[in-house]
Amino acid sequence: MNHKLKYRLAVPMALFALLQLQSQKVNEFPSKSDPLYKKVDMYDKLMLGNHWNEGAIMQHVIFPPAGLDRPIIGSQADCLDPTSEMLAAYSHKYAITKNEEDRKIANRIFEAVLKLERVTGVSGLVARSFNKTDKPLWHEKVMWYDEWHESSSMPGYRWLGDLSADKFTSIFYGVGTFWELCADEKYKKKAAGLLDRFIGRVVDNNFKLTDLDDKMTLWGNFCPDLPHQSLNSLEMLAALKVTYKITGKERFNAAYHMLIDRYHYDDDQINSKILFPEEWRNVGDDYHAARSLYMLMRFEDDPDLLNKYRMNLNRHWYDWKNIEFTWESTIWFIMVYYVLTGEDVFTEERIQAIKDMWGFERRTREFKIPQDDGSFELVKSEEEGTAAAMIRNYWFGRYYGIIDEKW
Amino acid sequence: MLMNRYIGTMLVLFGTTYIFAQNRPQPPEGMVYVEAGSFIMGSTYGDPDERPRHIAYTKAFFIDKYEVSNAEFAEFDPTFEFPTSKKDNAAIVTWSQANAYAQWAGKRLPTEKEWEKAARGVDGRIFPWGNTYDNTYVVWDQKSTRGTSIAKPTSPYGCYDMAGGVWEWTADWYKPYPGNDVPMEQYGETYKVMRGGSNFNNHSFIRTSHRYYLLPEDLRAYPVGFRCVLDVKK
Repeated sequence: MNHKLKYRLAVPMALFALLQLQSQKVNEFPSKSDPLYKKVDMYDKLMLGNHWNEGAIMQHVIFPPAGLDRPIIGSQADCLDPTSEMLAAYSHKYAITKNEEDRKIANRIFEAVLKLERVTGVSGLVARSFNKTDKPLWHEKVMWYDEWHESSSMPGYRWLGDLSADKFTSIFYGVGTFWELCADEKYKKKAAGLLDRFIGRVVDNNFKLTDLDDKMTLWGNFCPDLPHQSLNSLEMLAALKVTYKITGKERFNAAYHMLIDRYHYDDDQINSKILFPEEWRNVGDDYHAARSLYMLMRFEDDPDLLNKYRMNLNRHWYDWKNIEFTWESTIWFIMVYYVLTGEDVFTEERIQAIKDMWGFERRTREFKIPQDDGSFELVKSEEEGTAAAMIRNYWFGRYYGIIDEKW
Repeated sequence: MLMNRYIGTMLVLFGTTYIFAQNRPQPPEGMVYVEAGSFIMGSTYGDPDERPRHIAYTKAFFIDKYEVSNAEFAEFDPTFEFPTSKKDNAAIVTWSQANAYAQWAGKRLPTEKEWEKAARGVDGRIFPWGNTYDNTYVVWDQKSTRGTSIAKPTSPYGCYDMAGGVWEWTADWYKPYPGNDVPMEQYGETYKVMRGGSNFNNHSFIRTSHRYYLLPEDLRAYPVGFRCVLDVKK
């Protein structure tokens, strides 16, 4: 190879290498035999290094060449789940370590939730996700979910709308935990302001999550005048309880008691868990119930209401007690049940399941990328899922004395 | 005053229904007959695009008792693929596919008016069976076979799964009702209206008056099927 050619190739090769370094900032994975604390530490570095989108945590990242040098290509409908899990994780972690670096990370994740509101340009309207880009990205056209908008309040950003009851739960759970365990006075005020606007907008819209177009979102129904899932009754009561606790505003307490006294949400929520027929059981929904009950039962002190919330928890436990640990949230259910009831439910098998918690494997697959002319190009790339639930579980378990730091 | 207006409205509704209900034609196999006449359309409690609640009118028509199934759609399009165990489940197709099937079958897609009337009858009820709700009344989504909910309720005209199951395409573009001045950027001739909801989304979408818009060829987020109507020849 002559010198001229070498020189010509050197520049693109260096750029490619730089791109790889930038795009895959963290490449070290734990092994399954590592102790739990080491696995959590390594997955934490992977999540903060590879999934960090201006503080929001991406649930799914696709690396170049199908993705970009920043982690903003991939499914994004559920980004508020890992974002709130990491916010809760760092809040629990800070409560243990009192390390200001941990608090700073939690603050930055919380700021991203604020940005999810700011990017919509509407007070209290929170996006599912955002990306800094001035043009639509290819995954918007083919991956769940399709309600992308160009931001008018933050030029150069795009955001994903149609927020759901699940993400509604992520917000009051994550922000509530942050307020409770980690935020300083300045951030407590910011957290209270966010929930005041976000939950307040839902209350003002007769307990509906409404989108930019003023229609109720596909999964945004907590309305007393419309039929809705019992789980949504639970989620709304929990949201109002948390928001009242954090803001101190009587309107949220009044709304909570109106839904109970006039519309009997306290009775309705008991049946959040569908137990029969068995094929209707849905552990995905249990995650939202677990987060809601965790917040609600610790903040409520009325014994009659607590009894009803415990009935709900008992119905979940009927299923959870025999559940297989197939994903990280199912392990968290057991921890939540322990925290709320004080019952010693940690058998050897469950302890081992906690010690065996795992994040994700990096995989390679082919992506079908739509082209301007309507055709598709097949591009092979690496991708990563999320380990946020595992990291949250760890610090939650450490905080409540369930997990030993030596595990 | 309110009571007088209510009685007046019901007299008009049932009066026209009675007149047009004479000499009921025999529906083709798999279809039911919906007589000509007025009915209550829209709602006062749903999304802004359901307003105003008003009296609408349709000619008589026949409408499919069930959503079109996978096996039925495959008769029209042999390249249509589905698991053999799901031949009786509702087919999920784009608007163009649904429209092409309807034409092939010598039928057409229902207008919004026709769909809503077939679902709720003339009395403005919230659901096809009345005003109460329970999970056992509906087929959850496309994963279950048509007409297999535990309670198996029908609409006043005998249609199944007009609430739950899959969403259903209508022939109409998404436009405001006369008298509705709430701005919606989606109004116009870009989106088609789908009706009937799916429990995969949320229970209130299965209300008979609920409207939702969708790009005719984009099904990513929604399970959408269809049923057909047929004009009654005089």
